[in-house]
Amino acid sequence: MESILSFCFAVLIAPLLPAVIQKVKAYFAGKQGPPLLINYYTMFKLFKKGSVYSTSTSFVFKLGPVVGFSTSLMMLLYFPMAEIAPIFSFHGDVLILFYLMGLGRFFTILAALDTASPFEGMGAAREAFFSTLAEMTIFGILILFYRLTGSLSFNEFFSGNHMISLIGEYGALLILVVVGLYIVMLTENSRVPVDDPATHLELTMIHEVMILDHSGPDLALIELGAWFKLLFYAGFLARIIDPFHADNIILNGLIFYGVVTFIYITIGVVESITARYKMPMVPKFILTPFILIFFVTILTMGVLQ
Amino acid sequence: MDTLFVSIAVIIAGGVAGLLLYRQFTLMKLVAIATTSAGCGIGLFFTLPNLFSSAAYTVSYNWLHVCNLAFSIDSVSLFFLIPIFVIPPLALIYSFHYLENSAKKFRAGVNYFFFSVLVASMALVVMSANMITFLLAWELMSLSSFFLVMYDYEVESNRKAGYLYFIFAQGGAMLLFAAFALIYSHTASFDFTSFATIPDQVKLYVFIIAFLGFGSKAGIFPLHIWLPKAHPAAPSHISAIMSGVMIKMGIYGIFRIYLLLDTPTPLIGQIVLVTGMVTGILGVVYALAKQDIKSMLAYSSVENIGIILIGLGIGMVGVSEQNQAMAFFGFAGAMMHVFNHSIFKSLLFMGAGAVLHKTKTKNIEELGGLMKRMPFTGRTFLVGSVAISGLPPFSGFIGEFLIYYGAFQGLSSQKLPFILIVLSIVSLAVIGGLAAACFTKVVGLAFLGEPRTENAANAKECGMSMRLVMGVMALACLAVGVLPEPFVNLAFLGIANIQTAAGFSTASFIVIIRNISQTAALFIGIFILVSILRKVLYARKEIGSGGTWGCGFTQPTVRMQYTGASYADEMVSFFKPFVPITTLYSGIREIFPGQTTWSIRVADIAESNYQRFLTTPLLNFVTRMKWIQHGNIQLYIGYIIVAIVVLLLFL
Repeated sequence: MESILSFCFAVLIAPLLPAVIQKVKAYFAGKQGPPLLINYYTMFKLFKKGSVYSTSTSFVFKLGPVVGFSTSLMMLLYFPMAEIAPIFSFHGDVLILFYLMGLGRFFTILAALDTASPFEGMGAAREAFFSTLAEMTIFGILILFYRLTGSLSFNEFFSGNHMISLIGEYGALLILVVVGLYIVMLTENSRVPVDDPATHLELTMIHEVMILDHSGPDLALIELGAWFKLLFYAGFLARIIDPFHADNIILNGLIFYGVVTFIYITIGVVESITARYKMPMVPKFILTPFILIFFVTILTMGVLQ
Repeated sequence: MDTLFVSIAVIIAGGVAGLLLYRQFTLMKLVAIATTSAGCGIGLFFTLPNLFSSAAYTVSYNWLHVCNLAFSIDSVSLFFLIPIFVIPPLALIYSFHYLENSAKKFRAGVNYFFFSVLVASMALVVMSANMITFLLAWELMSLSSFFLVMYDYEVESNRKAGYLYFIFAQGGAMLLFAAFALIYSHTASFDFTSFATIPDQVKLYVFIIAFLGFGSKAGIFPLHIWLPKAHPAAPSHISAIMSGVMIKMGIYGIFRIYLLLDTPTPLIGQIVLVTGMVTGILGVVYALAKQDIKSMLAYSSVENIGIILIGLGIGMVGVSEQNQAMAFFGFAGAMMHVFNHSIFKSLLFMGAGAVLHKTKTKNIEELGGLMKRMPFTGRTFLVGSVAISGLPPFSGFIGEFLIYYGAFQGLSSQKLPFILIVLSIVSLAVIGGLAAACFTKVVGLAFLGEPRTENAANAKECGMSMRLVMGVMALACLAVGVLPEPFVNLAFLGIANIQTAAGFSTASFIVIIRNISQTAALFIGIFILVSILRKVLYARKEIGSGGTWGCGFTQPTVRMQYTGASYADEMVSFFKPFVPITTLYSGIREIFPGQTTWSIRVADIAESNYQRFLTTPLLNFVTRMKWIQHGNIQLYIGYIIVAIVVLLLFL
């Protein structure tokens, strides 16, 4: 029951949090910014609309948003938000979940290529490349977490005797993991400095250009999926950082979502004070966390044995 | 065991019938397909029950009073017999509509004959129990497949591909002869069971030589260069069976010789693991760089061989580390991937064959928009692509999951194995990501978007028998992904007879497999719910259609679509030292420039190095030695006599 409530809360709050980023960016720019509920309005507006489909597209174009949304939802179903066990979890679930995310990406790329637009092809190629690099880091992190906890499940990472936590015995190593995962989060969620969700050209960059031709409810599904994905990554980070464990579920939830909001704020800060990298720089940026994680993994050989 | 020989006889009979009946084209096809398939059916009827009872058989015959032909069957052989008996009937049914040019009826008859010889010889390879039997079957397999590759021999590039294949097949076989000779010099016995008695140091050499020999058949890097040449040259149902089944005989050989040598040397596992990583990553990078759909699929086979080798390597490292779980799951993962790859790679080759059949081109830069024109082929090809990229809920994921699981079990190992295992997990992830990029490229450019040429625009759906087979295989990909338990059990049974597997309890893992199956089902459920939600949201709404939004550009042409070369460019150039890219650009010279051309070419580093260090020096040497060959028969006889005399002095 708690798990279901926690899942529903996560789903409901996911569109709210990205508005925090916009607020922070607006604050830095000396503007007032949109209302915090902007994303809900956007969503309802999109849901009410119809769509225009390109004559070049086939059924794959319509499959893209559905598969992408379903895979993001799966992540939330299996992730333990706020110290509450997820609805589903088993040993080995991280592997299938990250691969399911790959499935979502696969169909998003195909939907982009289906429009026969040169721009969307460019975005698709970048997405395919950068996500492969980011995947290296993710598997590096899984290797490390397996080494530390002996498990392969989100829920097991954050429960039991060898819990992953900054204040645990491997806290020092986890700082590097936090940095790595943060960069992966920026990459996978098309954030500055890798991609700019506001799309100021360089032939319209990555994620935004891939969905140029989507409209109406299809676009709403894509946006929702993206917000879920961002919440999943922020939650993953928050579970590593969050050192407090209260016995009270509500208090735990408050702390957890507080940390999550803090992460969203930092994203806003990062986006306000850094410029987007030139595209040839991006692979180097994404490879940095892999090197960090690889270093951490090697450290576990000598330090912990 | 007798049932198996009956089945092989029936398979051969089917081929011979095809050859004899070639004047009646349709009848010939029907008889050959029905008989050979029946033979495979009989074989499967023997294989499956015995796999479940994990029985082992041995039988031997005297041949020509000199050679002893011995056969034995254990669980590993039985497991490899499954793809051997399952894929060929499907390929044959596919060929009914694929080989439709009745002007080439004799050639089709020959094709059916060598097809049945190939199937029978592959079955014999996995049944062999001594060196003579094995090498006989092995050579029969290489030769019959050589004739199959040479189907369109009037095209020069096909002849070249055939000869290249021949050289690699025979070069590999020579290495096998060398490895077996090395063993024979220690044991003086042809029997496979004597392998374990040779000294450990020799075992390592034997394994390395045999690994190279089998590797040239399997297509490990850098012995893979015949694959991307021979597969496009062969008819598609032949490429399907060669890539789906025959190259696995190389894997079988590697696994078999490893089991027979029964050595604790850790170096063997490390060699296999590193080769697997290199083969996998470079295979997929070259696949990404290819625009020819069939040679791209061939490189993707190289990549999958890499994944299988990573599985085997993890198993072997597990054995030398005495980590039973790691060994078990590594081997089982390799088996599972062998099985899966035989299905989805055959499916993809058949889809590529259908495209080639209807558009007369294999170049994805000349295709596009086929999803609307060949909807069935497009959908099945899409399923195969998702499966081969290892994405759930399709079959490819299950094999990779087993390998991952085995690798993770080994993370507690000591220094060198630990680094290797970390690298193998990361390379599996990279291979997965690049494979997804590779197959989004093929599906996205060949099947989606707008047709780039007339041929692609006028394509029609392919014949009934071809669609039937592709449909069955696509369903199999989904079935293995959603209900993996029986198939994983099959893989477990496949390694049941080997020592590492003895007494290993898989109960806790079966629970995980059930959970994966549940997750896949849950995902499909959510997918269906979201689709319904989408339908509801679009009910009674205005749905418009128009051109693709070109960011304000109003007159786009189909030539403006993203191309395969540009799609892959960034990823391929990331691996630059291994993938040399040459750009040919005529440049703009005058004030009013004429037509300019620009093209890029990606060279296979193995191929260019063979050319530089092997073929060119060899050719130079041979050219200089030409004077020996002058056409004077008497002198030739003189050479022979001198050679014999000199040899007699040494004996």
